[in-house]
Amino acid sequence: MRFFFRVIGTALFLLFSSGNSHSERIPLIAGPEMNHTIYIPGLRMGNAGPAGEPESVIIPLKRIGRLFMIEAKVDNLVGNFLFDTGSSQLVLNSTYFRKYILMSGVEGGGITGSTGELSRTRVGRLDISGFSYTNLLADVTSLGHIENRRGVKILGLFGASMLKGLEVVIDINHNELRLYRLDKSGNRLSVQKNDFKADVTEKVFICRNVLFVKVKIGGKFLDFCLDTGAESNVISCYASKKVLSTVTILRRSDLLGVGSGESEVFLGKLNDFSLGEHAITNMQTIVTSLGTLSSIYDYPIDGMLGYDFFEQGEISINLVKSEISISFNKTGKS
Amino acid sequence: MRKTKTYLLLLFLLLLGQGARSQFNPSTVCRVENGIMYFTIDLNWNNTQKKELTRLFDLDSTLLAAVYSGKTEIDLKGAKWEVKKLNSHQVELSKSIRIKPEKTSSSKDVFLVDDRWMNAAGEAERESAVYGVNRFTRISVFRYKESIARFFLPGHKEAKKVFLSGSFNSWSTQQTPMQPCDSGWIIDMKLKPGKYSYKYILDGTWTEDPFNRLTEDDTYGGNNSVVYCYNRIFMLRGHTDAHRVFLAGSFNNWKEEELSMVAVKGNWLISMYLHEGTHTYKFIVDKAWITDPDNKLKRPDGAGNFNSVIEIGQSIVFRLKGFENAKNVILAGDFNGWNTGELFMEKVKDGWQLAYVLGPGNYQYKFIVDGKWMIDPANPNTSGSGEMQNSFLANKSNYLFRLDKFPSAKKVTIAGSFNGWNQDNFIMVQKDGKWTFPIYLKPGKYTYKFIVDGKWIRDPGNDLWEENEYGTGNSVLWIEP
Repeated sequence: MRFFFRVIGTALFLLFSSGNSHSERIPLIAGPEMNHTIYIPGLRMGNAGPAGEPESVIIPLKRIGRLFMIEAKVDNLVGNFLFDTGSSQLVLNSTYFRKYILMSGVEGGGITGSTGELSRTRVGRLDISGFSYTNLLADVTSLGHIENRRGVKILGLFGASMLKGLEVVIDINHNELRLYRLDKSGNRLSVQKNDFKADVTEKVFICRNVLFVKVKIGGKFLDFCLDTGAESNVISCYASKKVLSTVTILRRSDLLGVGSGESEVFLGKLNDFSLGEHAITNMQTIVTSLGTLSSIYDYPIDGMLGYDFFEQGEISINLVKSEISISFNKTGKS
Repeated sequence: MRKTKTYLLLLFLLLLGQGARSQFNPSTVCRVENGIMYFTIDLNWNNTQKKELTRLFDLDSTLLAAVYSGKTEIDLKGAKWEVKKLNSHQVELSKSIRIKPEKTSSSKDVFLVDDRWMNAAGEAERESAVYGVNRFTRISVFRYKESIARFFLPGHKEAKKVFLSGSFNSWSTQQTPMQPCDSGWIIDMKLKPGKYSYKYILDGTWTEDPFNRLTEDDTYGGNNSVVYCYNRIFMLRGHTDAHRVFLAGSFNNWKEEELSMVAVKGNWLISMYLHEGTHTYKFIVDKAWITDPDNKLKRPDGAGNFNSVIEIGQSIVFRLKGFENAKNVILAGDFNGWNTGELFMEKVKDGWQLAYVLGPGNYQYKFIVDGKWMIDPANPNTSGSGEMQNSFLANKSNYLFRLDKFPSAKKVTIAGSFNGWNQDNFIMVQKDGKWTFPIYLKPGKYTYKFIVDGKWIRDPGNDLWEENEYGTGNSVLWIEP
């Protein structure tokens, strides 16, 4: 049996929003997303934030291996969505939403650098634990391979644009996702006491609608994207010698002939990783090429923060202040 | 003498140094720099260390043999490796990291690595329980009667929404809302006898049942509550003067003091869940083992005594008409490991028959008439072809594959993830122009296709399908719990 991690989502949206020829065929999201600026303060996503009464909701997270699922209702279909900040917007599984497709033939790219066909649609209504979204733009693609690997039905990916205007707290220890509405200054509307005590707070930035944070490895600052849909951290095998010299390589996998692509991957341990002034020791990471994805971005991606990072404690991402705050596990690895 | 000692000391130090150099530390073997992988290999490593090297780093043994034979350039399966001598006992093996993206669209966005790396397999299938007894601290919080399970969570009147989530509803967080009542929250659910794990969700927060002491690790740092829906009551009449009575059987490995019976109105009782199948048991009355006086079905225990026998599940009666002159007819199948000396059929008026208890599942079998194997002529469902063709029985089938088209086809089979995509494994039967095949499938996802006279097609009656590597798509079927 094989273990996989997802580093997708990041890639799925990129081609659509990267201002290349593909996006010209998709007028639905034309506008601010086409901006070529790399650092954009605040999220600028195509879809509007959620409507509805509650100022905050607690959404029970379902864990499937290293993936996080939340349950949502799309029109009349209720099921699991992979919570995936690495995907920039809502993605629907074509197995269940093939009839929704409005336009197809859009090419997409993934981290392995391949291309495939994506389709696009609009969803009338999506409900999630009291928050509701209407008239959503969504990609439609096959997610059957994730279902087959994890044995769980997946209606789609709940991407970063669904968090627009919100603060999201990812609390793996309690298997909870807490969403808070924010005012224009990025403060919670909820009258509930904010008892989140951050050990570290850092700026996040947006590149082609995906969240990034600056991390320090081996004394060098690197740009890592935040991807709750990645089952592992990932660091580029082309990172500098100084950076990679702090990564202990523990395993290698030669996946020749396996249907996942034929790139070689390494499992390593990050010995000198810090976010802000806070060191995180002994996080595992995958080491492989992110070159293709970088070329799609037209921006060098140094790595991804996945499951190994999100299990470090309670993690808050404020999409208005463009901040990430972490309250580390007190008896954990930090 | 002093010289000898010095030599010995030098020799010892040399050996020590040699040993130290031959140490195998996986964390210092490999490094990655600028898209190139480097392995520092000690030429003194023994075979065990070399094997560990190949295991951890997926290195071909042929490659290692070439390294140890002194080659400086190795071309293996299209990959070029370089070997550089570092010192008298170490070499450096290097190669550019292969970057070759997947071409098929179905896996364009997924990257596979070895599962063992992170011990993070998907949702593990829980072992189905053979038996079970509940351990609630308050009787009123759970009741199971006439297939209806009532869950009651006392208190929490301040909660706005409470959901019940568990193995019975695929751990849905929204599909089973509980209703507020005078003293808490309540829900009735129709459930089959069996073992279920669950949690309550109070305003979004996962919560164990506070009145249930029976829990199991949820593998994510917490516990799930566990409940059994009962299907069996054991009763021992009388013995009113006994102090303690226990039930022990094959289902609990004959543990003597585990299943304590309760005195109720002159009888001793225990209710429990017991998995389908054949079980043997005894009562233990003040340490004296006795069979069930109200159960006539008993079998030798192999030690000169008898055990009571209970059979739970559907008894299948296998029948073979005719063959009146046969000397013996034997039933053999995958349910008894194709044992040809066990299930002797009984001669009856118009042929042969044998009753056998089987749990839900798919089974293959044959009759052996005086040593000659034959499929069941009364069963149209078969599996395999030629000499490997067996009769096929789906006991308690929960899905019927159906193809309403192609009435003139000669042969239609089903291949899917449930049978390893075997083309001849499941052969559909035609009746009134429609092809059918009954099957028992455990809850989960299955992909499949029909093969109509050699041509693979998706199920035209099923809208759900997903892409496959051939670009033709596979039909998708979900069996719910």
